[in-house]
Amino acid sequence: MSQDGLDPVIHAPARLRLMVTLATLPDGDTLSFTRLQDMIGLTPGNLITHLRKLEDARYVQMEKTGSGVNALTTVALTHDGRAALEGYTAVLRQLLDTAESAQRR
Amino acid sequence: MKDGADMDEAAGMDPQDAAVIMQEARARAERELNIRHPVIFASWALVYLLGYGVVWLSIRGQQPYRAPAGWALALLALLAVMTLGVTAMVTDRATSGVGGASALKRRIYWLSIAIGLLGLYIMEAALRYNGVSRAVLGVVTASAPLLVAGVVLVAGTAAWLNWYAFGLGVWLIAVAAFSGFAGPVGVWAVDALAVGIPFLLMAAIRIGRSWS
Repeated sequence: MSQDGLDPVIHAPARLRLMVTLATLPDGDTLSFTRLQDMIGLTPGNLITHLRKLEDARYVQMEKTGSGVNALTTVALTHDGRAALEGYTAVLRQLLDTAESAQRR
Repeated sequence: MKDGADMDEAAGMDPQDAAVIMQEARARAERELNIRHPVIFASWALVYLLGYGVVWLSIRGQQPYRAPAGWALALLALLAVMTLGVTAMVTDRATSGVGGASALKRRIYWLSIAIGLLGLYIMEAALRYNGVSRAVLGVVTASAPLLVAGVVLVAGTAAWLNWYAFGLGVWLIAVAAFSGFAGPVGVWAVDALAVGIPFLLMAAIRIGRSWS
């Protein structure tokens, strides 16, 4: 955890966007690498780097099927990933509430 | 040298930035991944109000009842095919690249409707073959597709847990069941209004919700 309690694996703009986008899908659904790239607007190299970090933390699962022109890589949020995003959101809300109360004083 | 991912982390962000990123990402994902139902509802409203309406106009003066005009049925078929195309396009735009359980459920849903309609049209041919009256055929042609769609929507609630779809399915079954009492001419007008107007209202409600 970072000093403010936010999960450092998620607390980076691109990875946060990735996690939120994947969390929009119902549990058990996957998104193709190309559609995800199109939605997030990263280069394939950057996207794979971020996805590997999330995969190492077991927050996403990547699966490659087929080969050559028929190759398809799909990405899905894991149960751990969904729980981690919920935890991140709760901590973030707490930090924002604290900052808001401090501003009011 | 740092790659893009490292630079992304190095840039850092405060909680306020993170909240904005989350809000924007969620809004974009919902906008792009959710099917645009108002377009689909409005298209099907057009099929019923215009297509069924034209068929009704083509038979309303018939004494005794014979059958809808060929050109009116052709127009209805054309509108239905065009709307199926619009439905497929809107669905594909949202679900392109999405796999897993939802994609499988969607395929089973559309397959159920296709099998139901196929069975219905074979049954209609059997009725015709057995010399059923034109009045009975008229009622079946107008209402039975609604019964198929209604039953699939109601049964689909088991997979989607979408109670709006359940309500719509029950309404379509009720319209299919009761509109036949209006006779082979009136059934087309009743179905046109009883399906077309609620579909238009649903499209308007969805648009209103997305603006609010």
